[in-house]
Amino acid sequence: MRTPTQDWLGHALRNTTWRWRQQTLALGVLGLFVAVIIGALYLTQAASIATLNRQLQDLISERNRLEQSNEQIRSEIAQLRTVFRLRSRALELGFVEAQRDQIEYLVIEGYNPNRQTTQLQVEREGEANLPAYDETFGGWLQQQWDNFTRQFQDFSQSGGS
Amino acid sequence: MQAAQTQQEIFNRRLPIVIIGMIVASGYLLLQLVGFQAIAPEVANELRPNYNRNIRLAAARGIIYDHSGQRLAENTVEYRIGISPNLVSDKRRVATQLAAILRLDELATYEKINSAEPWVLLTPRVSAEIGQQVEALDLQAIDIEKIPRRSYPQGTLAAQIIGFVGGDLQGYYGIEGYYQDQLTGRIREEVVSDIPFDLPDDQTPDEGSNIYLTLDRDIQYLIESELALAIAETGATGGTYIVMNPRTGDILAMASWPSFDPNAYANVEANVWRNPAISDEYEPGSVMKVLTVAGALDREVITPDFTYVDQGELAVGGIVVKNWDLRAHGVVDVRGILVDSLNVGAATVSLKMGHEAFYAAMDAFGIGRPTRVNLEGEASGTMYIPGDPEWSESNLGTNSFGQGVTVTPLQMLAAVSAIANDGLMMQPNLVARVIDGDRVIESQPTFLRRAISPEAAHIVTDMMVSVINDNDSLDNGAGVPGYTVAGKTGTAEIPSPIGYESNAWIMTFVGFLPADDPQVAILIKLDRPTTGRWASQVVAPRFRRLAERLVVMMEIPPDDVRHALEANAGVVGG
Repeated sequence: MRTPTQDWLGHALRNTTWRWRQQTLALGVLGLFVAVIIGALYLTQAASIATLNRQLQDLISERNRLEQSNEQIRSEIAQLRTVFRLRSRALELGFVEAQRDQIEYLVIEGYNPNRQTTQLQVEREGEANLPAYDETFGGWLQQQWDNFTRQFQDFSQSGGS
Repeated sequence: MQAAQTQQEIFNRRLPIVIIGMIVASGYLLLQLVGFQAIAPEVANELRPNYNRNIRLAAARGIIYDHSGQRLAENTVEYRIGISPNLVSDKRRVATQLAAILRLDELATYEKINSAEPWVLLTPRVSAEIGQQVEALDLQAIDIEKIPRRSYPQGTLAAQIIGFVGGDLQGYYGIEGYYQDQLTGRIREEVVSDIPFDLPDDQTPDEGSNIYLTLDRDIQYLIESELALAIAETGATGGTYIVMNPRTGDILAMASWPSFDPNAYANVEANVWRNPAISDEYEPGSVMKVLTVAGALDREVITPDFTYVDQGELAVGGIVVKNWDLRAHGVVDVRGILVDSLNVGAATVSLKMGHEAFYAAMDAFGIGRPTRVNLEGEASGTMYIPGDPEWSESNLGTNSFGQGVTVTPLQMLAAVSAIANDGLMMQPNLVARVIDGDRVIESQPTFLRRAISPEAAHIVTDMMVSVINDNDSLDNGAGVPGYTVAGKTGTAEIPSPIGYESNAWIMTFVGFLPADDPQVAILIKLDRPTTGRWASQVVAPRFRRLAERLVVMMEIPPDDVRHALEANAGVVGG
């Protein structure tokens, strides 16, 4: 005694043919091609990001190293510019301390030592160097294609060497 | 019929396989779903491969500069170097390289690298130079931690003002202690991903604020040199020099002896770390007479024409006050009280004021309360007032000439600076600006209160000029030719548990110049000098020597030139 569900399943499977149809094959190949394209794009993008991140990490490390190097140099400058050292160096070079009675103050008619000064407006560095945003979809596609072809070129060159 | 039978058999054989396959696939999908959605994040983290690691970003402590940008305290870096042995492929080669750079025993280094531990410390501290050589090897297994170290390039210069940073990276004393919270950066823990697709963080730690002081290191060097010379010349056991701008309260230099090198703070006893200019209390002696007279003139208890008959002694609250020379001076005016530094005159004025007016005047000058200078460890001084169990009627007399009351050197200079500043009391200040990242916080002069009226301040200033110009006891003089100088000496006995010490004094001189437009106020204090009996003999000449150098360094022109400049172009700044 068969149940209705078994009938339906049996009917469906019984009608399944096990030979390849041309249309199905074409669809399969197309699907595979699309999957390959998507996969290639994904891999290109991922490789590009990984490369950029690595470059960014290198730049950050380099910046940190340079900052530390600068700090070390500033420290050395501070050591060389201590008042003890400057004073002894000045004495070695023959400088002497000015005495009160050796200084002559000149009164210049009309000169105001407390004159007004004008402060220049300095352009802020961060705003001045901002690049304009001009990326387009076509440009993005071109960039992806260039990345893609470069990956293949790099791969073929490394494989050939 | 046969074919249909065969097909049915095939179907019957395949069906269970298909159903089992579908159940397995569904089960797998279900498990994945539970794995993504239902498992707690901490459990998921445990199950997931560890692509993240925690790093500790030690922040740099803020740098301390003098007012012209010269470094007084800075940071240097030392390196702590460890290694993860399981990440080393060629252990022998790495051991050879590291041992050569770190100057370690090669075999011991190899044993460490060959150990089963996940992480091994190779060396706790090496210099930046060696650390960078290790960094240059670019080995993934090496763990390099930078350890900040505090360094003081000027050595002993301004040590008691700056303070120091201890091994626990905490600031102690001076600016390092007072501005600990601002100077210290925040140590940050950060998670760093090893996945190449994750954007690397900019691992810049939150650095501490940089502090620019009002201190001028050239003036600081000058007064430290002068102080050392004074100690050597007078045999004093200690001393303090302070140079201040009386108009703003900015401290230009402050030095005490003995001092220390903050790079090697542990080499001296802990009491040397204190700054005596703000933490040592002493009886000010006759300098206090200036405040007594100023308070009385301001409250119109006396006028500039006030006179009294000086009989050489005066009974106050059961004790007898005597003049320093034990002589009677006859009819004396207010100017004479300061010029001849008469204890009887000062006590007469304070008695005329009464305790209420006298102590109110002293309070207005900040006696008995801290100046609130931005340094750690300030003392408040001691002034007993009516109502205190320690106070007696005699205090009213003795306090007027600086006995039975204690002050810090900075308190005394701040009080006299109020007279120089037309009666306005300014808060002593050591910080010009604090730079916190992109923010610059400029310090503004802080007005505390009006101590006396401008008129009273000008009268007292004029009297203090007379102290310099008309005083025969100032053997070598405290005046600077070409400049009007206002000042007052003080020779105070040193209290002991059984009265006052014999043959030991604290000698001070407080003055400012130019008297009509003060640009600098100076306090000199020497403890127990042995080359003279009075401050006029011991300290006044040193004041003159210092003032002569200061007018050159601060470019303060002589009075006649200054007046000509002012007539020509307005006020002249120093």
